[in-house]
Amino acid sequence: MQLSTRKVLDRSFSGLGMVSIVLVTCSLVVFLAPIVWKGFQAFCFRGTIEYRRVMLDQFDRGNAARIEKEADRARAARQPLYDMLEQFEEQLKQDRSLRRKYRRPLRELKMRITGLLGPAPGEPQRVLIREQYGQTRWDRARVKLQDVLYKVSYDYSDPSVPGIKVQTPRAEDFKGTSLESLFAYLEEHVEEMLQPRRTVYWRFLFDKSMDAHFFGGIWPEMLGTLYLTLGAILFAVPTGVISAIYLVEYAGQGRLIGLLRTCISTLAGVPSIVFGLFGLAFFINAVHVSESKSVLAGSLTLAVLILPVVIRASEEAIRAVPLTYKEAALSLGAGKWRTIITVVLPAALPGILTGIVISMGRAAGETAPIIFTAAVSVGQPLAVLDTLSQPTPALPWNIYNLATEHEAVDEIRHVQYGMVLTLVGLVLLLNLGAIFLRARISRKLKG
Amino acid sequence: MAGHGALLVVTSSSAIAVLFIFFFIFRDAIPFFKERGFLELFSGARWYPSADPPSFGAFPIFFGTFLVTCGAVFVAVPLGVSAAVCLSDVLSFGFRQMVKPIIEILAAIPSVAYGFFALVVLAPLFQEQGGKILGGAVLVVGVPLSALAVLIASDMGSNRFSARRRKVARVALIAVLGGISLALLLAAASHFSEIGIPSGTNALNVSLILGIMALPTVVSVSEDALQAVGRELREGSYALGATRAETILKVVIPAAGSGICAAVILGIMRAIGETMVVWMASGNASQVPSPWFNLLEPVRTLTATIAGDMGEADQVTGSARYHVLFAMALSLLVISLGCNLVSERIVARATRRARGE
Repeated sequence: MQLSTRKVLDRSFSGLGMVSIVLVTCSLVVFLAPIVWKGFQAFCFRGTIEYRRVMLDQFDRGNAARIEKEADRARAARQPLYDMLEQFEEQLKQDRSLRRKYRRPLRELKMRITGLLGPAPGEPQRVLIREQYGQTRWDRARVKLQDVLYKVSYDYSDPSVPGIKVQTPRAEDFKGTSLESLFAYLEEHVEEMLQPRRTVYWRFLFDKSMDAHFFGGIWPEMLGTLYLTLGAILFAVPTGVISAIYLVEYAGQGRLIGLLRTCISTLAGVPSIVFGLFGLAFFINAVHVSESKSVLAGSLTLAVLILPVVIRASEEAIRAVPLTYKEAALSLGAGKWRTIITVVLPAALPGILTGIVISMGRAAGETAPIIFTAAVSVGQPLAVLDTLSQPTPALPWNIYNLATEHEAVDEIRHVQYGMVLTLVGLVLLLNLGAIFLRARISRKLKG
Repeated sequence: MAGHGALLVVTSSSAIAVLFIFFFIFRDAIPFFKERGFLELFSGARWYPSADPPSFGAFPIFFGTFLVTCGAVFVAVPLGVSAAVCLSDVLSFGFRQMVKPIIEILAAIPSVAYGFFALVVLAPLFQEQGGKILGGAVLVVGVPLSALAVLIASDMGSNRFSARRRKVARVALIAVLGGISLALLLAAASHFSEIGIPSGTNALNVSLILGIMALPTVVSVSEDALQAVGRELREGSYALGATRAETILKVVIPAAGSGICAAVILGIMRAIGETMVVWMASGNASQVPSPWFNLLEPVRTLTATIAGDMGEADQVTGSARYHVLFAMALSLLVISLGCNLVSERIVARATRRARGE
């Protein structure tokens, strides 16, 4: 091969490597950008007057007098709309042919308006909380406004492609009637009707959820994840650290130890869903740690899952303690056990902590093992003692549940994104902590 | 000595855990095989566990697992190995310290978050812009690779000519081959961009995400393997006049081959065992795509089936429908145990060889 070609190939080889690094970075950015941006909107958004009313009625928050004043203003802006509707209904009552023509479009229109602004004044109280209020968020309100203004239908005339979405203005249904002007009025005055204002809802993290996550926050899930993670750490860390001490300080090279090591790496490779089945079959059906799903059973399952991570990290940390430390302690007359407790473990502590923090992130984010052992879709925040017998909602499980099984998946996207951001943020914070710890250790080792 | 024994007991808890996992999964899988035999599960094509009479043919499910795993390997291995090479041999130390946390973060992100991304962001994108994305991907991947291929081919071709005409021949060859391959690429891209993807939750979507998830494992394990190849080998190759690319391709990667193999196996294990992403975004259709390599159709995997069907099967604990899920879990366990043993064997042999035994 010619020299120039070899040079070009060499350059392009390095370039290919760089491209792959850039691609990896890009995939992280592409993944994180929508999660962060949309998740942020669960905390920081334009809330309407309906949001402030929910907060006042259900959580007893906000300045009642001011909210009442705002609500009055909104009501005043809405009144002409309802007047128009009422007037039109009067007309229908008098004219049968009109009634036949407009009864169904009118009913649908009223339904859509209720979806945007909440029940009309004078309507009977609804049972579900979500039906007692209009849209609480301005971004959702805009979507609902489109539903009022436009009808959506699908065009199936071309069989080779899936149906094409067609939007027709709803005003055309009411052409030539007194209601035609309603749509222009609504479009023009919708901001006055809903009074959107920048809102920061940091209590999203600490509020209980209401009416299947239509309102409120994610505290039960947060608390459940916290319990499960701490429980897993509680069971896994003592076992893991002791195992690591044994493997480094006492174990030789025998067959038994080799078998043990194989077992640990096998345990690390078991698929997470199998841990879930094992937890169900062993902790719940065989040992009966609880009647059915419980935080305890979930924690134990997660503990088995993170055990290999803890063992490996602690082993590495203990191995990294310089031999001179141990020799100094031994030469001062300390026994082996005493040396381990007073010299080796303190020196290895930051490294062990790093491993613990990383495995905490792992335990917090795992879903499959808790599906059959600990997680439920809806539940109240648990007291500490209840964790022994009660199941709990948890962030990872509820992300799955809300994104796939909820009755109104699209309506609560912001809650889903907020949960994902919270979970990812939690795990990343733990990992950043670990990276920081490790940097400190390597600085210290350098002196 | 008593303390020694107590420590050993605690340490063997992980061995006991492995034993118990196998025992309990095995115990609940046996009744299924007793009742229905082996053949139906592994070769039957109809998966109707709740029909009457039920049919437990899980071949499409095993095939789905195989398909998405292959897809993930196609994403993770080229990207991961070249990133590892870049990390260990190309980048400076400071830059490496900046890239490593990115890989760690990719590894740390919970699988359910990846699944959410696949379902809510990626799937609609595929459904609406699928063809354009595929066409673009063909160009992005194809152009640099075919440029390299053209360069190498024209260099080899021009060697047949006499020294005087070599340069001219090379330019001509580059022009001709480059033109042909560019035309082919553009044709392929436009062909792909015509494809409409009926459902965004399909094997391609899942393969992509699983590939990204397996990436950190592949990168870190194969980087370790590359680092373990001594400086002497590299320096010897440089001394013979090889360029860096030649050194890496012909000396370092062959020397680190077993470690890279282990990395690939570990990546495969990660992809096979992943539950949430495939459950949320694979479409969960128990069918063999037609043709069998069509990644654009929805599939169903073992893990997703266990996770999804357990909720319904739980109420009838003891039925074949309940036990078949344990039979699937047993297959998963056996696969992962096999992968694990193979990768351990490979690494052990490599260390023995490195020690010169």
